[in-house]
Amino acid sequence: MTDPAIRISGVTKHFASTVAVRELSLVVPRGAVYGLLGPNGAGKTTTIRMILDIISPDSGTIEILGQPHLQLGVRDRVGYLPEERGLYKKMQVRRVLRFLAELKGVSVAVADRRIEEWLRRLSLVTPEKDWGNAKVDELSRGMQQKVQFIGTLLHEPDLVILDEPFSGLDPINAQALKDTVVDLKRAGKTVIFSTHLMDNAERLCDSVCIIANGEKVLDGEVAAVKESHGARNVALSVDGDAASRDRVGAILQDRRVASRVDDQNRFFEIQLAPGADPQELLRRVVDTGAAVRRFELITPSLHQIFLERVGASGVEAGMSGHG
Amino acid sequence: MGKTFVVFKREYLERVRSKWFIIATVLGPVFLGLITVVPIVLSSRTKSSDRISDLVIIDATDQGLGDRIAKTLASYTPNAPPPRLRVVKREQVAAEEEHATQQVIDREALGYLVLDSATAAGTVRYAGRNATSLIDVQVIERTVRQAILAQRLEAEGLNSARVSMLTSLTVNAKTQKITDRGREAASGMASFFFGYVIALVLYMMIAIYGQNIMRGVLEEKTNRVAEVVVSSVKPDALLTGKILGAGCVALTQVVAWATMTFIMYQIRAPLLKAFGVPSMLAGAVKIPAVSLIVGVALLLFFLLGFILYASLFGAVGAMVSSQEDVQQAATPVMMLLIASIIFMQPVLLNPSSTLASVVSWLPFTAPIMMPLRMSLIAIPWYEIVGSLISVALGCWLAIWLSARIYRVGLLMYGKKPDMKELARWIRMA
Repeated sequence: MTDPAIRISGVTKHFASTVAVRELSLVVPRGAVYGLLGPNGAGKTTTIRMILDIISPDSGTIEILGQPHLQLGVRDRVGYLPEERGLYKKMQVRRVLRFLAELKGVSVAVADRRIEEWLRRLSLVTPEKDWGNAKVDELSRGMQQKVQFIGTLLHEPDLVILDEPFSGLDPINAQALKDTVVDLKRAGKTVIFSTHLMDNAERLCDSVCIIANGEKVLDGEVAAVKESHGARNVALSVDGDAASRDRVGAILQDRRVASRVDDQNRFFEIQLAPGADPQELLRRVVDTGAAVRRFELITPSLHQIFLERVGASGVEAGMSGHG
Repeated sequence: MGKTFVVFKREYLERVRSKWFIIATVLGPVFLGLITVVPIVLSSRTKSSDRISDLVIIDATDQGLGDRIAKTLASYTPNAPPPRLRVVKREQVAAEEEHATQQVIDREALGYLVLDSATAAGTVRYAGRNATSLIDVQVIERTVRQAILAQRLEAEGLNSARVSMLTSLTVNAKTQKITDRGREAASGMASFFFGYVIALVLYMMIAIYGQNIMRGVLEEKTNRVAEVVVSSVKPDALLTGKILGAGCVALTQVVAWATMTFIMYQIRAPLLKAFGVPSMLAGAVKIPAVSLIVGVALLLFFLLGFILYASLFGAVGAMVSSQEDVQQAATPVMMLLIASIIFMQPVLLNPSSTLASVVSWLPFTAPIMMPLRMSLIAIPWYEIVGSLISVALGCWLAIWLSARIYRVGLLMYGKKPDMKELARWIRMA
């Protein structure tokens, strides 16, 4: 277990005149849940596609589970769920799944047994109804996503790569996905997922890598990343009338007190200005007459770190892009 | 290789299981049987109209020719009204024609025949409702010819009874084809028909299954299943598996058709009887013998031609992102394919012409044109081998180009690429 799940070294990829990924290096430890974070268009999907040899890098090397990523058979140990999901619409569910498993080198007999287990586990086969014999396009969107997810895991991969897995999931399926990620980790598998939703990443990931504009901004274990950004953040939650809230807002505009504020209406995450005293801030907020529900010194959230390091401009620039 | 086989298996099984494949495979031979039998049924009914004598004869020859013709025609159809003979002067012909035309319009007669000074030299005029019926016109021509001959012979002193005995003769040509191996059992007509069917089946298979692959590739793209698949298998292996899968489906269909046709051929006598065809005509349905070498060459031309077009169609499918764009993008490939159909008629009529030689050497027409020529005339073996090499080279080029377009295009979404963009893809891959 000495080799990391993924080792990317100095990888660069151009598309025509634009640079999608520049000199990217990162290491994903085995058995970790790893978040690849970044705004849209940061190069997350390009990086993932290079790992899977769907596109080849212009330069740099990629290793999967200690072997060069082009080595025959190594990709059979990887399960991949692309951002744009899809299946053969006119095929029966069981046949699609068998096809996907066979593509990864699983024998028909083993595949069929696992398919039955999975269909039952995700209640696609119930005593009332067997969806396994239905055609894919007869299934609801949620059920299709389940089938796709089964297809990703049927060959029991050591490494699972999920590209924006939470996009388009309803809360129930999103919860099911989180549960599965935790199960996979318990079973000793490595899970990499890309997302621009920092809340999910913060709760699920052991380690993260934030990339923007094709370059790595920071990476490391979540705890370490947060530690290195200091405990200079304040979580503030207030109740009260609009006037008092406006007065709180005015205080937070003061750059001598707060260098950055994430205003979420009833909740503020405040990065204290250098030299600012949190006690002083608390006193001024109380003086506005607003009722303070919560005032806590915290480590910054990934969201805050993300905003600080990538910058609001980076996020907005990425919003119009894709992938 | 293993993964190519997995793709191949999926392509083959999903297509063979489809309703359309089963329907087409079962109905194909029935259709083929019909187009074989119907002409025979029709030809067995190529008797002239049963009212052929119901006409007006305007005789301005002044030699009693009209009377001879009228008697002969009347004997053909005793149940129909006999011809109405008008013996007139030459200047009255125009007026009589007007009158006869009106009679035909009023359905009092089927048509009218004009005999005048030109008739002795072999020209008659016929106008009537059945003027487009080749058989009716032939009967009239033959009757007039016999009448003129009889008249000439009588003028030479033979009596009329002997004349009619001597001149009544029908000739039926039994044709036979000669090749390098000598005389063939089948008639020239049968090999003409056979060549036509071979070329048409080849064209249909390439067009239908080639476009099938194109739609399959586009479907994988629009369904977004392509990315899942190429994360497990290289695009080249995916395209190879798809082409081989669809090709084998086409072969399966042809073999099924050939088998059923053969069975139908074996039991043709009772079958034709069921259609009401006289049993002596059943012998007219013949399948020309195909030698093993010709069979192997046919198979090779089919496979190479199919791979050539299928890979091009596959590239077209990967180029575009929507159903709207695909037909337009496929036009250049379809044009190449349709060229074979355009040249089919001239090659059928003259299989040894220069044009025929040229189109059986061009890689994109040869897969259909060479088998067509081979079934019509004997082609030297070196020409067949040369043509096969030419197709194989074209095939290699098509695969090379298509694989490159396919690799890049499969994950590109958006507007259809122009030529410049396409050239960039080919360099990029």
